[in-house]
Amino acid sequence: MGRWIAVTLMLLTGLARAAALPDDPLRSPMWEYNLARYLGDEARVVIDDRVALKVPGFAEDSAQVPLTVDLSAFPGPIRQLVSWVDFNPVPLLFKLTPEAAQPRLIALNFRVQQATAVRVAVQADDGRWHIGSADVDAAGGGCTAPSMTAANPDWQTAFGTIRGGAFSPVPGHTRFKFHTLHPMDSGMVGNVPAFRIDDVRLHDLASDRLLLRMRLAESAAENPMFVFELAGERRAVRLWMRDNNGNLFERELALGEDG
Amino acid sequence: MVMCLLCLLSAPSLVAARSYGLEATAVADGVWVVEGTTENFSPANGGNIVNTGFIETDAGVVVIDSGPSRRYGEALRALIARHSDQPVTHVLLTHHHPDHVFGNQAFPEHTLYMLPRGRELLARDGPAFAENMYRLVGDWMRGTELVVPPNTLSPGVLTVGTRRLRLMAFAGHTGSDLVVLDETSGVLFASDLVFYNRALTTPQTPGLARWAEELQQLRTLPFRVLVPGHGPVSDGDAALAQMADYLSWLDRALTQAARRGLSRSEVMQMAIPERFAAVAGRRYELIRTTTHLYPGYEKAALELLANPEATPGGQ
Repeated sequence: MGRWIAVTLMLLTGLARAAALPDDPLRSPMWEYNLARYLGDEARVVIDDRVALKVPGFAEDSAQVPLTVDLSAFPGPIRQLVSWVDFNPVPLLFKLTPEAAQPRLIALNFRVQQATAVRVAVQADDGRWHIGSADVDAAGGGCTAPSMTAANPDWQTAFGTIRGGAFSPVPGHTRFKFHTLHPMDSGMVGNVPAFRIDDVRLHDLASDRLLLRMRLAESAAENPMFVFELAGERRAVRLWMRDNNGNLFERELALGEDG
Repeated sequence: MVMCLLCLLSAPSLVAARSYGLEATAVADGVWVVEGTTENFSPANGGNIVNTGFIETDAGVVVIDSGPSRRYGEALRALIARHSDQPVTHVLLTHHHPDHVFGNQAFPEHTLYMLPRGRELLARDGPAFAENMYRLVGDWMRGTELVVPPNTLSPGVLTVGTRRLRLMAFAGHTGSDLVVLDETSGVLFASDLVFYNRALTTPQTPGLARWAEELQQLRTLPFRVLVPGHGPVSDGDAALAQMADYLSWLDRALTQAARRGLSRSEVMQMAIPERFAAVAGRRYELIRTTTHLYPGYEKAALELLANPEATPGGQ
């Protein structure tokens, strides 16, 4: 008898939980599971067009699919941002926490293993999560394809080469772009252990204050290209990155006079 | 009831009876073009998105490209036989892309010719292309296998009977692109160096600047009719003018986007000028081109950042 009550209670809680979540506009079977997995069981979730997730409808290269989160239409500050790829072996792509700066736009490339929904969840100041979604079609295999970097016999000399640029796309905002040569091995290719940058931080160069922090997961593509557009004037930043083997990468970048 | 069941059972045979319905259009005396659609590969079009052609001489027929599948190649050969009594003596394969060379099986192997570099590229990429074609167009590919031509071509004049064909080697589209000018009729088979009312494809291009330079060279040739690799046949300069305009817009737009620090997804969504409204597949190909080429433009627009730790006097 007690068991039946427990089962009924579980069913009821399950129903109540399901009722609280909006329907997935993309009807992915992973919708509820991944929301609970990455945002928690108690997360309050709304679907919000102002969280603009820009992903191409198909992956021309399954190992390098571009993603841009554009928050220029999203009102107010955000607490954190989480992005995942529903059908990837490890769906998580990144978690980003603003510290002294609010991001207006974030871009990077991800891998896809098969056609899938892609998500970005933005937590507003009131704790509610605002979700943007997009579908990407793919022949697949991006997560389990050998790294192009490691196939190049000279990769060790180029390893860790970083290029960067600072731009001022809108007055009062600054965009920083960084490209790093790193194999970003996901650990899913036979006999190739995980070797990837998992921690990215941006500091204000003058004050050394932490501006934002991004934790990268397995779905991130090799040779990462990051774009961070920050609200407010930032003349110069320091990029700090660490990979899971403990390699540290640090670079400084300033907006040019003509920028 | 039994009749209905029979109807249902016979439905698959309709699928098996698929045919390309190829038609040849004479563009000059003894010169025909077989025009495909300007779509992407799909199970609906069977990969017939390409232009092939053939030229009759008094010593045999010269074919330009063999099409996307064995079935296409066989249909093309039957079509040629309806227009000429001459045997096929040469199949000139312009480049190694699957829509141009997977009809090779329909022709005797000793008639197949290709530039040496194109031949190498076909041997290297052919198996992956074949796999992709089966995925994209499905059953139309049944029985299709890669045939690498045994014969190589050199640039210069190829004389077949009384026809003089000027063979030219370019690289802008794939690294090895054959262009054929029939000096007798003034028909220029530009192959995929020219797309007309169809957006250009870039997975193997050595760069848009190189391609644009080669288009300028094509403009100096004495031709009357231009047969693009994709899109309608053009009298005079129209196809070349559109292609050069599109190519230079694309190169400029990617350069400027990189200088403004745009992300790849932003570039994929950027505005395409209204004057290219007739160019089919332009958004789709911009997404592909951004993937292929924008990383190079981005690299050029970013500066190499020195490691402050490694710099003498660095903190």
